[in-house]
Amino acid sequence: MALHLNLYHEIQKTKALKRRDPLKISMFILGSIAACFALYYFFQLLNYHGVAEELDKVKTQNDKIAPLAKAAKKREDVLTIRKKSSDALADRIENRFYWAPILEQFLKTVPRNVQITRFNGDVPPDGLRRCTIILDGLAAGTDARKVAEDLRTAIADAFNPKYKGVTSTFRTLEDGIEPVVFDGKPVPTATFSIVVQIPLVDASASATPPPRKRK
Amino acid sequence: MKLGKEEIQKIVLGVLLFFGLVYSYFNLLLGPLVAHTELNRRSINGLQPVIDANKAQIARTKELEAQAPKVQMVVRQVNAMIPEGAPVAWFPTRMAEFFKRQGIDHVTTRLNSESADGRYKAYRKLTWGVDVPKVEFLHFASALAALENEEPLIEINSVQIDASRDEVDTQHILITLNNLVRK
Repeated sequence: MALHLNLYHEIQKTKALKRRDPLKISMFILGSIAACFALYYFFQLLNYHGVAEELDKVKTQNDKIAPLAKAAKKREDVLTIRKKSSDALADRIENRFYWAPILEQFLKTVPRNVQITRFNGDVPPDGLRRCTIILDGLAAGTDARKVAEDLRTAIADAFNPKYKGVTSTFRTLEDGIEPVVFDGKPVPTATFSIVVQIPLVDASASATPPPRKRK
Repeated sequence: MKLGKEEIQKIVLGVLLFFGLVYSYFNLLLGPLVAHTELNRRSINGLQPVIDANKAQIARTKELEAQAPKVQMVVRQVNAMIPEGAPVAWFPTRMAEFFKRQGIDHVTTRLNSESADGRYKAYRKLTWGVDVPKVEFLHFASALAALENEEPLIEINSVQIDASRDEVDTQHILITLNNLVRK
C-alpha cells in the first residue's frame, strides 16, 4: 500500500473553515429573511394601493351621487306632500257622506199616517264617522203608539242591509193631546222622537260610486 | 472554534441590529401600512351602504316623479273647481244660483267658520250655513242629490228640516256644509 501524503491539508482546512463560517451563514439567513420581509412588504404595499384606488373610486362615486340623492330627497319630500294631499282630496271626494239616499230611504219608510215635523241629521266632519238623525213627528191611528213603534223598527230594517249596526231608538213617545182626522175618521195620535244612529264604517258604501274611467 | 472578544461584540451588535430592524419593519413599515389598508377597507365598507341608500333614494324619487302627472291631475282638477277670489264673494252666489236653477229661490248662505286641515296643506276648509226658508221636501231632496253630484268639493255635515206650521206643504231647511278653497 502506497503512502499518500496530503500536503494541502492546511489549505483545505482553511477553505472548509471559510465555507462553514457562521457569520457568513448567518448573513445568508438574515439576507433571506430580509428578502422575505421586503417581498411581503411590497405585497402589502400593492394591496394597500389596490384598496386606496378602490376607496378613491368609491369616494368619487359617493361625491357624484350624494348631491343627486340630496336633491332627490328634497324632491321626494315635495312629491310626497303633493301625493298625500292628492290622496286626501281623492279620499274626501270619493268617501263623502251622501244625504240624498238617506232622505230617499226615509221617504220610502215613513207611512201615510205619520207626519215628520222635524228632521235633524248630523255627520261630524272629523273623528268618529257616524250619522245621527233625530226624527220628531206625529203618528196617527187607532193604536198610535203601535204606528210609531212600527216606524221605528221599519227605519232600522230599511237601513240595516246597507249600513251595518244601525240603531233606532225612541227618545220620547207620548200620547197626543188632540185626535186628528185620517181617511175621514178621527183617530188618536202619539208624538214621538226617534234617534237613528248609522255607523259609517265603510263610507264608500253609502256613496254613489264614482264613474269608472275606461282604459 | 473559539470566539474572540471582538467577534462576540460583533455578534451582540448584529443581534441588536437585527432586533432593531425587525422592530422597525413591523412598527414603522408594515404596521402603518396594514393599518391604513384596514382603515381604507373600513371606509369602503362604510361608504357602500351610503351609496346604495343614495341610489335607492334616487330610484324612489324617480318612481314618485313618474306618478307626479297623475297626482298633479287630481290637484289641477280640484283647483279648477275653485274659483279665484275671496270665497265669501263667490260661494253664496254659487249656492243661490245653483238652487235657483233647481227652482228654489231665496236661499241664503252664510260663512260659519274657517279651519285649516292638516291633510290638505294648500287648502282651507270653510263651513257654511245654507238656509232655505220655504221649500217642498221632494223638490229639495232632488236638489240636494244634484248638489251632491255636481259639487264634489262640498261635504254636507248636517241637514235640518222643520215642517212649517202655517203651510203644511212646505218646510224650512238649514244645511251645514263645508267646502275646500285655496289658501
